[in-house]
Amino acid sequence: MPVIRRLLAAICAVLILATAAAPAVASVDILSLEQQLKCPTCEVPLNVSNAPSALRIKAYIEEKAAAGWSSNQIEQSLVQQFGRDILATPPKSGFDLIVWLVPAALIIAGLVAIPLIARAWIRRNRAAARAGVTPSPDEVERLDRELRQLGD
Amino acid sequence: MRGATLTHVSSEDPGKPPTERRGWDRRQITIASLCAVVIAAIATLLIVGLVNRNVNNSIDAAIAKGQRVPAPAFTLPVLTSTAGLPAAGQNLSLAQLRGHPVVLNIWASWCVPCTDEAPILQSIWDKYRSKGVYVLGVDVKDLTGDALAFHKEFGLTFPTVRDGEGNIEGPYGTTGVPESFILDRQGRLAAALRGPLSASGSTANVNSFVSVLDTVIAEPS
Repeated sequence: MPVIRRLLAAICAVLILATAAAPAVASVDILSLEQQLKCPTCEVPLNVSNAPSALRIKAYIEEKAAAGWSSNQIEQSLVQQFGRDILATPPKSGFDLIVWLVPAALIIAGLVAIPLIARAWIRRNRAAARAGVTPSPDEVERLDRELRQLGD
Repeated sequence: MRGATLTHVSSEDPGKPPTERRGWDRRQITIASLCAVVIAAIATLLIVGLVNRNVNNSIDAAIAKGQRVPAPAFTLPVLTSTAGLPAAGQNLSLAQLRGHPVVLNIWASWCVPCTDEAPILQSIWDKYRSKGVYVLGVDVKDLTGDALAFHKEFGLTFPTVRDGEGNIEGPYGTTGVPESFILDRQGRLAAALRGPLSASGSTANVNSFVSVLDTVIAEPS
């Protein structure tokens, strides 16, 4: 039993040491990062671009990821070098937030407006239909007369 | 039911014919006006966007007529400097070069023709710097490290500024890299070369480019 215990302890020690000694694995999702950026010369997402400038930026991303940079650090570094235009979508903060809020607000306004407008139309059509069947005095008189005849 | 129908009919003021609504009321006009404004704004944005995509060829048109138009101004951070200019990292404004003929070269390290052109630009700088000429590189849409490595690889000693966003391209009507311009002492454009400088073969254009530079240098200060 002590032998087994010692063996297990040794395995655990080796595992702990191996984990500690292992190089930091880059936690960057390179494809996802490339999708969030665009090629500065061809304006398409970086991951689908083979333009020379895009290839250099892809290489830069891989190089920095291997050096342990986070996704955010790489993105910030590229924004610093190429400006915000390198971002495929505008950031969800500051003034750029308006790009996200306006379409959402318009969709919500549309969803609210459609039933209101539809109800107003239906009401108006019903009123028009009612107005349309209102008989003229001549017709009323004729109707009364015919009804009287039917009664007789 | 009959009575009810007749009662209802009689309450509609049988003396008058049924009223029929014509035209739009005030609220409908307001809504329609708002919609029209929104549509007009979107259409304007689309048109402005499409118009701005057009390449600015006013520089080439002016030069073709023998006119010199002021070079579009810019202020950009220095990547590599030279004596008399702000140090690397500081801003350099084109106006600071007023009084000197300038060869402005728009380039990027990922651009293959730029590699062929680099030694030609360096030779122009070597030959003309003593005559007060500045060769100024504008590195566009490039990684800083790559641009510095490019300078080192080709032994380039002329100053270069960085324009990572490529903001210079629109005003200068740039459609790609490399492109070169000659500015006179008043900061006006005397020549625009859309493409690489080439010293040999059927595309050789260095001599005609340099002859414009010689003309600009010979002009009185």
